Amino acid sequence: MESDEGDEQQQEAERLPLSQRPEWSDVTPIPQDDGPNPVVPIAYKPEFSETMSYFRAVYYSDERSSRSFQLTKEAICLNPGNYTVWHFRRQIIETLHTDLQDELAFVGRIAKSNSKNYQHHRRWVAEKLGTGAVNKELQFTKKMLSLDAKNYHAWSYRQWVLQALGGWEDELDYCQILLGEDIFNNSAWNQRYFVVTRSPLLGGLIAMRDSEVNFTIEAILGNPENESPWRYLRGLYKDDTESWINDPRISSVCLKVLSTKSNYVFALSTLLDLICHGFRPSEEFREAINALNTPDSGPLDSDLGRAICRVLECVDPLRCNYWLWRKSKLPLTVSSQ
Amino acid sequence: MMMYESLPHHYQYQEINRITLAHFAISGLCLLGALDRVDKDAVSDWVLSLQAHPSNKADLTNGEFYGFHGSPSSQLHPDDNGVLMHNGSNLASTYCALAILKAVGYNFANIDSKSILTSMRNLQQHDGSFMPIHFGAEKDLRFVYCAAAICFLLEDWSGMDRERAKAYILNCQSYDGGFGLTPGSESHGGGTYCAVASLRLMGFIEDNVLSKNTSSSIIDLPLLLSWCLQRQAADGGFQGRANKPSDTCYAFWIGSVLRMLGGYNLIDKEALRGFLLTCQSQYGGFGKCPGDLPDLYHSFYGYTAFSLLEEPGLNPLCAELGMTEFSALGI
Repeated sequence: MESDEGDEQQQEAERLPLSQRPEWSDVTPIPQDDGPNPVVPIAYKPEFSETMSYFRAVYYSDERSSRSFQLTKEAICLNPGNYTVWHFRRQIIETLHTDLQDELAFVGRIAKSNSKNYQHHRRWVAEKLGTGAVNKELQFTKKMLSLDAKNYHAWSYRQWVLQALGGWEDELDYCQILLGEDIFNNSAWNQRYFVVTRSPLLGGLIAMRDSEVNFTIEAILGNPENESPWRYLRGLYKDDTESWINDPRISSVCLKVLSTKSNYVFALSTLLDLICHGFRPSEEFREAINALNTPDSGPLDSDLGRAICRVLECVDPLRCNYWLWRKSKLPLTVSSQ
Repeated sequence: MMMYESLPHHYQYQEINRITLAHFAISGLCLLGALDRVDKDAVSDWVLSLQAHPSNKADLTNGEFYGFHGSPSSQLHPDDNGVLMHNGSNLASTYCALAILKAVGYNFANIDSKSILTSMRNLQQHDGSFMPIHFGAEKDLRFVYCAAAICFLLEDWSGMDRERAKAYILNCQSYDGGFGLTPGSESHGGGTYCAVASLRLMGFIEDNVLSKNTSSSIIDLPLLLSWCLQRQAADGGFQGRANKPSDTCYAFWIGSVLRMLGGYNLIDKEALRGFLLTCQSQYGGFGKCPGDLPDLYHSFYGYTAFSLLEEPGLNPLCAELGMTEFSALGI
């Protein structure tokens, strides 16, 4: 609902009521029938009520004309969430064969001020245009994401474009750029995973894993408090826990972060998970945890898993109950590390 | 209560979803134990007036869905032959309609469930997902949830293929343990709620699963739990996705997931309570973030969040259905 410079906004300001437009003089608007006891009645603005009343008239008579087409534009601007209006607009497009490129431009303007609801319609137009629409659609979502790099609808639309129409060539680079701008952008990390696992040009997760692990570790070391790369790192070993616990780089990054004695919560929780899955930590890990000097009572637990949980209870107090619970679920070891 | 009586014109953008707004208002009053202020018969009459009825049995296989409309604005009167020309009823509105009818204690035996359930199958896609409406729209977990909730409320699973729906849901679990709205999309509080609630309603996850010692589950439970709990941010509120600001409504979406799994006690309740109170408006109700003006959506989810926190004065919540427990049970 923010003001925008699109011509739709201009039209609203200069708007002549439909009842005063000569080209609509033959149409009887159909007012909304709310019934005797409407629940949550809305105090509509007059232009909203009027537009919808005229819309109902042409929809009911199934009039697929250029004036109806224009009317759907006005109705959409007032209420982009109305499925019925979009649907009727599509029916008119099919009948009148209106320009599809213009349609993409229209949807683009709507999308800027209303970041939901446009997707299905845009998808329909793009499908009609076919693979020729790829570049335009990738440009469109890129534009949307430049306004809000985490726009959920733009990302899901972009994923659809890639899968339905192609254009994977530059996607990994695009993720790289976005992560360069904001390494905390979880949507960009998610897109990276999407590309690495699904791009027909890259060879799949296992082929990409090595370089991805290296990239992720660098990101972690740069900002160990950033949840996204830690999750991503784990994700690279999805369904392959064995390889995960055996990759020395994983435990090594945990140790590195612990040695800095700052921002080590995710390092600790990752180490805990590794241990729970069978990783056998060397003495250096115990030493690193000892050196943390957390305000914990008493000596470090002989079981490293339990020790980690106790530290986490202190340094991640929001999740204290969770760490207590994790501790209670640890297998009891007969011989300690 | 103010919102129930009349909504200001900014809400005209949500006209098509009036029934959703009604659900928030009525179920909200229900949580507050204030349903006596509502004329239940008038409400059920209004809701029932929004139902789309097929003109005959053959219509049920014509591809259209015969559920409830979101508002009178998407309804058109049948033509002279009694044929309903354009049917704008949809899954989300149908779920809200049934939720409202449940809340006001309407006798479900009087609802034409057969039409709803038979025609609902027309909306399920090959991959298990659902469209909300027959003439095409987004397909994602929100509508799988609506479908599951509808079947559950009508106590009849003939409306959907549960196995296919389950397969779609599982495909939506992200590498980090949360669920996105579609396969491949970023894990998200709302998506995660829809996934887990649907699986619970369909009977694929047992009650309080975390307290059971089963090591196998159709979803990656430990990862999901870790993801959910990490959503509680330093300000005590819950965020919908990693590295995003906290928002009132995720106290419900994520809180409910934890409640359904049996892990609600693992959160920091005091910190959450503190955050939610900063989102409460001086006019009553809740906004999205501290200092925001209240809106109906965040107010409803603010109350549900407090219900999960067992705030005195609020009725207990059925997390799977997003309504009070006693409504869900038909008491």
